[in-house]
Amino acid sequence: MTSETDPHPLPAPRPDFLLGAALLAVAGLYVRALMFTPIEARQGAAQKILYVHATSAIVGLYIAFGLMAIASILYLWLKDEKLDRVAESSAEVGLCYMTVVLGTGPLWGKTIWGAWWTWDARLTSTLFLWFIIVAYLLLRGAVEEPGRRARYAAVLGILASLLVPFIHLSVYLFRTLHPMPIVLKPSAPSMPAEMQRTFFFGLLAFILLFAALLRARYRMATLRDLAAHREQEHG
Amino acid sequence: MTPDNGGFATAAYIITAIVYLGYALSIKLRERRIRERLARLDASARPPSSRPAGA
Repeated sequence: MTSETDPHPLPAPRPDFLLGAALLAVAGLYVRALMFTPIEARQGAAQKILYVHATSAIVGLYIAFGLMAIASILYLWLKDEKLDRVAESSAEVGLCYMTVVLGTGPLWGKTIWGAWWTWDARLTSTLFLWFIIVAYLLLRGAVEEPGRRARYAAVLGILASLLVPFIHLSVYLFRTLHPMPIVLKPSAPSMPAEMQRTFFFGLLAFILLFAALLRARYRMATLRDLAAHREQEHG
Repeated sequence: MTPDNGGFATAAYIITAIVYLGYALSIKLRERRIRERLARLDASARPPSSRPAGA
């Protein structure tokens, strides 16, 4: 497709083995959690929502939005467009994870609290962060000049990530219905060993899925920028 | 007594699968659209002599 002198050759499409492996790992989690992990006596089978809800929250909040913040800070310093693409990709994948968190949480809440939703500090701040990330992606679509778009997005991305420690600490700072952390806390996880194994297996599966989605999203952003570059060249 | 609420867990796992698979698919579809756009750009930028006869 491209000439030998092309400075931006188009990478050929190839099978995404990492994404395939990640989806297989998540499928393995489904089998392990639903068929081979014991049911919690007081909460019933709904407690198994933990293995997709809390694991997605850890990856979305701490890994995806943490990476978005680091890449945004580094972009403002180094002005490297690759860092802007990492921040953008991480934000979008993180939004996908937080959509799962906000979609599965009410199902668990309904069985334990008797209510789909409550406006407590943890839930409200998580929903607020979700809207800020939506605004971050809308902002990226609204600003045409690449340098200004990356700069504005980096600032908003850094500000959004400041909510993450607040969300983590909200259950300690406020009276909330949401339970305290069962894994991300100074003492040992408060779960039987078999449930812990399923939980950490799920966490690894969702980290692998995050890596695969991030890589795919980054590659897409690179191709999009290449297309924009070529369109500019051709007028 | 253990409550019978397996339907909620099933619903949560289905939602999770739909969101992640749907998102992965959306990335692949967007990438395909961009590749087609790039192919069109390459074809229009190529000099007429290098185009196949009849094109």
